[in-house]
Amino acid sequence: MSIVHTGEQQAIASESRRVLDARTDKVRLLGLLQGIGEYDRPFWDTAVGQGWTGLAVPEAHGGLGLGLIELGLVAQATGAVTAGAPFLTTNHGAACALLAGDDAALQARWLPGIAAGEAVGAVAFAEGAVLPAMPRTELVDGRLFGVKTGVTAGLRADFAVVWARRDGKPALALADIAGISRRPIDSFDNSRLFADLVFSDTPATLLAEGDAARIMALDILARMAVITAHEQVGGAEALLFVARDYANTRKAFGQPIGAFQSVKHRIAELYGLVEIARANCIHAAALADDPGGQPDFLKAAAAARLAATEAYDTAARDCVQIHGGIGVTWEAGLHLHMRRARSLAIEQGNMLFWEDLLAAELSGVSA
Amino acid sequence: MSDLEAYRLKARAWLESVAPTFGRAAQAGLPEAQHLALGRRYQRARFDAGFAGINWDTAFGGQGLSPLHKLIFEQEEMPFGMPMGYFGVSLGISVPVVMRFAQDREWARERVLAALRGDEIWCQLFSEPSGGSDLAGVRTRAEPDGNGWKLNGQKLWTTFAQHSDYGVIIARNDPAVPKHKGLTFFWVDMRSPGVTVRPIRLAAAGHDHVNEVFFDNVGLTDGQRLSPVGSGFATAMATLMIERYSASDPAGFGPSIDTFAALAREVEVNGRPAIEDGRVRSALARGYAMRAGLEAITTRAMKMMAAGMEPGPEGSLNKLVSVRSRQKLSELAIDLMGTLGLAWDQHASSKDDWVASWLAAPTGRIAGGADEMLLNTIAEKILGLPQDHRPDKGVPFNQIPA
Repeated sequence: MSIVHTGEQQAIASESRRVLDARTDKVRLLGLLQGIGEYDRPFWDTAVGQGWTGLAVPEAHGGLGLGLIELGLVAQATGAVTAGAPFLTTNHGAACALLAGDDAALQARWLPGIAAGEAVGAVAFAEGAVLPAMPRTELVDGRLFGVKTGVTAGLRADFAVVWARRDGKPALALADIAGISRRPIDSFDNSRLFADLVFSDTPATLLAEGDAARIMALDILARMAVITAHEQVGGAEALLFVARDYANTRKAFGQPIGAFQSVKHRIAELYGLVEIARANCIHAAALADDPGGQPDFLKAAAAARLAATEAYDTAARDCVQIHGGIGVTWEAGLHLHMRRARSLAIEQGNMLFWEDLLAAELSGVSA
Repeated sequence: MSDLEAYRLKARAWLESVAPTFGRAAQAGLPEAQHLALGRRYQRARFDAGFAGINWDTAFGGQGLSPLHKLIFEQEEMPFGMPMGYFGVSLGISVPVVMRFAQDREWARERVLAALRGDEIWCQLFSEPSGGSDLAGVRTRAEPDGNGWKLNGQKLWTTFAQHSDYGVIIARNDPAVPKHKGLTFFWVDMRSPGVTVRPIRLAAAGHDHVNEVFFDNVGLTDGQRLSPVGSGFATAMATLMIERYSASDPAGFGPSIDTFAALAREVEVNGRPAIEDGRVRSALARGYAMRAGLEAITTRAMKMMAAGMEPGPEGSLNKLVSVRSRQKLSELAIDLMGTLGLAWDQHASSKDDWVASWLAAPTGRIAGGADEMLLNTIAEKILGLPQDHRPDKGVPFNQIPA
């Protein structure tokens, strides 16, 4: 369907960009790469202060009741500055699980905290593969056993939505994880707070099981993938402009390097990748927010995800290359984008997952 | 229902009603002369039904509607494969120039009406042997001759010149000034003495559509001038903007992604359906993502136009991205067919045959702006990157090394 953004939506986009440009500190972000379990508190304070945490939470639960279009625009702004905390995406996934799970007590327990930016939820689906057909993690008599790997925000989350098996069928469960064992991952992008979550006799509430759980999990994953795709577009676009500005000012052989076609065509190609990814993102977000958009949403989310991953990876590669030696230095910080391009490419399912899923949607044949 | 939606339904209903007469099946196997005659009858039918010159001034026989109405009609028309190719340049580029710049307004009105009815066809004489991408490098000369002008030189890649009654032409009136400054824009009667048209056979099948055109002392009156003397380049650039919104095809005028999916279900790789092969799934998924993005760009542009806004420059990506992708997907499709992919049906359409699509794809990447020129335009006009090094800049044309 695609849409033209309303004045309010454009204001959210420009205001979030403005605020984050003013409050992001590259040196602080570089520092976060070297610690485990640390995230960018000034960023998260900003997110809370600006009301981004409650954007897509229903009004009945303390949020603003908007949708993926608005949250996507904020995610685009956070992607542009490689923001130092992953909670906007994980909390949206967790909120979707709570809303779909339809358990009033759980909703009352967590949703107002998500809207206020006080609670953090993690979406613990992966065991290597992002959504294994039959997970090893098991739910027995309301208790979880098993290990979820590389969970984003895993070092900070208060609760987790867990993809598990129950009586030989897949299930979605929600667990308070305050007391569980977390194995921190010393990662190439540490502010994502990756951890393996070790469940051992952990009390959990069943949200859904069987096919209903599978459909719900896929929908949650697709919605998070659309937010991530926006973040990737923001990052790719920021790199496009950085590359453009550098090519306009850096001179070699008596002219700006942007006058050489090997450089300028590379930058023009990035523009194409960014705009195709952006258009796919807008389309997918609009379908997600439209009650009639469900039948086409999965395809659109997959397309957005594939196009955005390609755009961000390519932009990271080419932007560094265009900068030459300075591009690979710690201080220049282009590696913040290079790292984020890869971590986002893996979170919410890698290219192979989405290619197979989209091919199945288009051909009716599963991998 | 909005006015635009109602228009779309009306257009679709009309197209469906004439499809048996003019659609793909009606064109199958027709020799060129009969195909052209069918095309003229189709254009006439469009005119009579009020679907010609949709966004043109009613004083010139147009319908006085918006460019968006025109786009909607073209979108609806595309799947039918109607025989409208002969009129693409004529009504898309040349005739709008005449309508805007011709000195004799009554004559212009007659020509526009004749072109809208499909009675007359116009070509655009821009490219030459020594200059396609470098349009301002044209060498065809227009020298003052009495009260008028005399044309000498050669044009190349002129689409449908062999069927054209008239053409618009850019020629050099002054070789002693820098190249952009010595050009003037004219219209020319293609049946004038001294005009010779020779069709060029292309590697891809189908009827010949491009030509070389020779001008040997062809006389023009000064009334045939469409620009001030020496300002032809600016006018030529302006003409390319007149009809800048036209329907695009995210499939790059090749087979659809569904056609690829169907092939992948049919043929086998390693004894299993090709669609189960990861390489094929990857190509299918990525091809879809790219096309869906282009489609979303178009949809958004149309919504912006409907809201009275100017669409963004990203609309210019379509040809660059879609044709390149069609070329690679066609190669893969032929690969998938294996030895069954060796057959070549010279009458097959690029829209549904992979070999025809593959053979004609290079034309798509060169005609109407080569990929490299489109990348330059994106880099310079949208992103603000520097122009290429141009040693001929500011140099009188006759002092540029040939």
